[in-house]
Amino acid sequence: MTDTPLSAQGPTAPSFLHRLRDWWSGETANPVKRVQFGHGLTPWLFVLPQLAVVVIFFYWPSAQAVTSSFYIEDPFGFGSTFVGMENYADALGSKEYLSTAWFTAFFCVVVTALALGIGLLLAVKADKVIRGAESYKTLLISVYAIAPPVAGLIGMMFFDMHMGPFTRLFAFFGHELRVGVDYWDTTIALITISVWKQIPYNFIFFLSGLQSVPVSVREAALIDARSGWRRFKDVTLPLLAPTAFFLLIINITYTMFDTFPIIDVIVKDKPANNPMTLVYKVYLDGFKGNDIGGSSAQSVILMVVVAALTVLQFRFLERRVHYG
Amino acid sequence: MFKTATAAIALALTASTAFAATDITWWHGMGGRNGEVINEISQKFNASQDQCKLTPISKGTYEEALSSGIAAFRSGEQPNILQVFDAGAATIIAAKGATIPAEDLIKGAGEKFNREDFIAGVRNFYADSDGKFIGMPFNSSAPIMYLNTEAFEKAGVEPPKTWEDFEKIAPKLKEAGYLPMTASQLTWMMVENFKSRNNQQFATNNNGYDGIKGTELVANDANQVMMFEKLKEWADQGLYGFYGAGWADNLKPFEEGKAAMWIGSSGSFGGLQKSAKFPFGAVFMPYWGSIEGAGTQSFIGGAALFAMAGKPKAENDCTAKFFTFLTAPETQVYWHENTGYVPVTEAAYELAKSQGYYDEKPVAEVGIQQLMLPGGEWTKGYRMGFYPQIRSVMEREFNRIFSGEVSVKDAFDTIESEGNALLARFAKTAG
Amino acid sequence: MQKIKPFDHLILILGTLFLCVPVLMALMSSTHTAVDIHSNGLFITPGSNGYATYEKVLTHRGGFTGDVTGLLMLKNSLIMGFGFAIGKIVLSMMAAYALVYFRFRFATVLFWMIFATLLLPLEVRIMPSYQVMSQLHLLNSYTGLIVPLLASATGTFFFRQFFKSVPDELLEAARIDGAGPWKFFIDVLVPLSKTMMAAIFIIMFIYGWNQYLWPLLMTTDESFYTLMRGIKSILQVWVGSQIPDYNEAFALAVLAMVPPVAVVVIFQRMFIKGLTESDK
Repeated sequence: MTDTPLSAQGPTAPSFLHRLRDWWSGETANPVKRVQFGHGLTPWLFVLPQLAVVVIFFYWPSAQAVTSSFYIEDPFGFGSTFVGMENYADALGSKEYLSTAWFTAFFCVVVTALALGIGLLLAVKADKVIRGAESYKTLLISVYAIAPPVAGLIGMMFFDMHMGPFTRLFAFFGHELRVGVDYWDTTIALITISVWKQIPYNFIFFLSGLQSVPVSVREAALIDARSGWRRFKDVTLPLLAPTAFFLLIINITYTMFDTFPIIDVIVKDKPANNPMTLVYKVYLDGFKGNDIGGSSAQSVILMVVVAALTVLQFRFLERRVHYG
Repeated sequence: MFKTATAAIALALTASTAFAATDITWWHGMGGRNGEVINEISQKFNASQDQCKLTPISKGTYEEALSSGIAAFRSGEQPNILQVFDAGAATIIAAKGATIPAEDLIKGAGEKFNREDFIAGVRNFYADSDGKFIGMPFNSSAPIMYLNTEAFEKAGVEPPKTWEDFEKIAPKLKEAGYLPMTASQLTWMMVENFKSRNNQQFATNNNGYDGIKGTELVANDANQVMMFEKLKEWADQGLYGFYGAGWADNLKPFEEGKAAMWIGSSGSFGGLQKSAKFPFGAVFMPYWGSIEGAGTQSFIGGAALFAMAGKPKAENDCTAKFFTFLTAPETQVYWHENTGYVPVTEAAYELAKSQGYYDEKPVAEVGIQQLMLPGGEWTKGYRMGFYPQIRSVMEREFNRIFSGEVSVKDAFDTIESEGNALLARFAKTAG
Repeated sequence: MQKIKPFDHLILILGTLFLCVPVLMALMSSTHTAVDIHSNGLFITPGSNGYATYEKVLTHRGGFTGDVTGLLMLKNSLIMGFGFAIGKIVLSMMAAYALVYFRFRFATVLFWMIFATLLLPLEVRIMPSYQVMSQLHLLNSYTGLIVPLLASATGTFFFRQFFKSVPDELLEAARIDGAGPWKFFIDVLVPLSKTMMAAIFIIMFIYGWNQYLWPLLMTTDESFYTLMRGIKSILQVWVGSQIPDYNEAFALAVLAMVPPVAVVVIFQRMFIKGLTESDK
């Protein structure tokens, strides 16, 4: 959230209820903007279309999915047993689930860091060069357009145990790469492909962020800070912070929720003891195995964890983001 | 040729709509060439009569097709016919009321139906414990062992019938410079069909056929554990190559001519004819001579067609008509020769044989013959809920066995306990 | 301007290679036969089978009705791409505007309500989603294909970030000039957001263009076939029994890149305009 930290609200910390009420009533106490339009119907008119779509096509079905998490049910809808928290207990009590959770956290940190870092580096350089800038930008963004099933196939072929170019490269350095058999070899393949898929996304948003930095600011920066690194750290980075914060959150949700098709391709839809993410497990149990109750419970757990993480990031990171 | 056929059929279609033919739909999970053959068969059916008009719709993969079918059924939008794969069969059969048993449907429409027309190994897999057909067997296959003929000549050995034979010849193949054996999908080959080829119990409650309550997996028995201890031993001696759970990863060494034997699907010969640069043959999947009563027929893999409930009589009659059309020898032979799946009736097998198909492609006959071997108490099939998840547990533990993380016995203890937990969960779905 | 060092180009070239070589290999592989690709993996050099493959892909009449042509799939994919990108920009800009520029109750709650849509993937809620669509009679319709996908927070979140970084002086000045909320939005904020709109348009167009699972579930009519389904269906063969027509899948994927790349090239210009625009 964007409200100011507690200490700023006065010497005595307000009660929990008070804070909750503040939070509930929106950002009136600590507005996003110093100047805002007033109350009235207009904001509702603006937000209504999005809200309607979200309520009808997200909350309505999601509520049913959450209800399912308390049942074990026949997928066709003929029978069901109310089991309370059993689905949750089953998931959380499993050793495999916990090791999957650890892998997901690790995977998330590595993929987000690499995809953001490389995307930012390329965007900064592409913003800087003049000769060939158009070609670089077009090429780098275009890769994003490759059809996901084919992207997965290419990744799989690159890491093929018998004939993949990467397998040969690793063999040259004396390592026998066995993606699909060895846990960490598979991890390398998953990280490489996931990062590869996400770089163009980060590149395009960082680039648009950089492009909207006014020329006057850049020129001032050029005079003030001699070294490139200082200039980047003191001027460019703060200006990019709103975009970077957006991308951080999006990349985390990408790694969490959108990488499971890559996993599915790399393990050839048989995960065996290869690393997988929590969402892949949900996909495996729910979509492939038709265990609606179990997979719903796992999704709810995941949703709560990621939501909590996100709230924390909004609270502690966004405070450092300087807007405007 | 195909275009004229389409045109003729298009004409036939417009003609038949004039008589207000009954429309039925078929959701399937096949792509590539198989998807095209499904379209061709449907066109043939529409051209063969004018009361019914069948429209097949590709619904992605098997899993996507099943999920689509389930979602649609819950909203009353289900198709007349849904294709469901072997491991998902328990889900749809357990949901009594979701489907009309194929046998009831066909007989109810006044069509002729005889269980004995079907190949023995196909007869019971999608039937209930009394042998009544619930699903209509459609695309079926069997696991068989492919051989690199050159390798066997070079090593001067004969193809193995039993695993004891394998142990004798494997070192010689290794000496001749080959990796003696690889195998794809160990769950299908070394568990499910280890059970069928050696006539071993796979689950309590009559392999799960007698009901879902209280069904338990029989996995950590001495014979099953012995099979994997042998595999591990062979892997350590360089007689067997394990390349993870991926199908193609295990096939590759055989295609490259490095492996002398590969256990794969009876339908794999079509692909191998294009990718293997050496002559190859096939034999039945080996069994253990030491196990009494072994050498029985194998389970089928593949998928079946289910008639969804909640449709008007006229449409159900059309579905029945289509099922009858589908099992006609000519349709079966067309399907068999174009896709590599085995024919499901004896008459179709005889027809293919009389047309000289197996003289031309002897490998294509091995799977059917294996399915026609004598059956045993435990060769009808197995019925376990959440079976896709149970397979995942097995695959995970197998990787651990071959990487040396766990002992075979411990792995199968885990498989049995996690499998039973899943089965107990599934029993609750019936409410 | 700043000095350009060869080092910058080196980094860009390396980055471009890492990202583009796989795509280049897909292009090259599409000119080889399926069996060659199956046996040898990806190719970096062109083969001799290209013409036949592309001819087949472009003229093939697939599906049960024989109506599933490249053109039909292209049309549906374009509808998905444009429908989704435009719908998304309109909806999310409006919502973000309300959330940032108005002082009203529940703004935070609303933001989080919209934000939460990022946290539950479609695969999980696919059965109930289908039921909702069926109850609304939206199966087999373009509305049903596009509108539910708009229920995601990416765009709203992105524009919120941008609007928050727009200097407050702009609104102060506009209010002194007597501009109301609508006028400020249309005359000031929309032109100011051009670069951002270009970026999000490219991303969202490709997102809609690449949709697979939702159209597969939602439609039972071959006239809704998209390129993505065409590609998936080629690759999806019985493992081991047949060799997928890799060459055709690669060819179709290469062809499927042309419209999104055109979008990228067109919107490139807006990136540069955006620069001068915000420089005012």
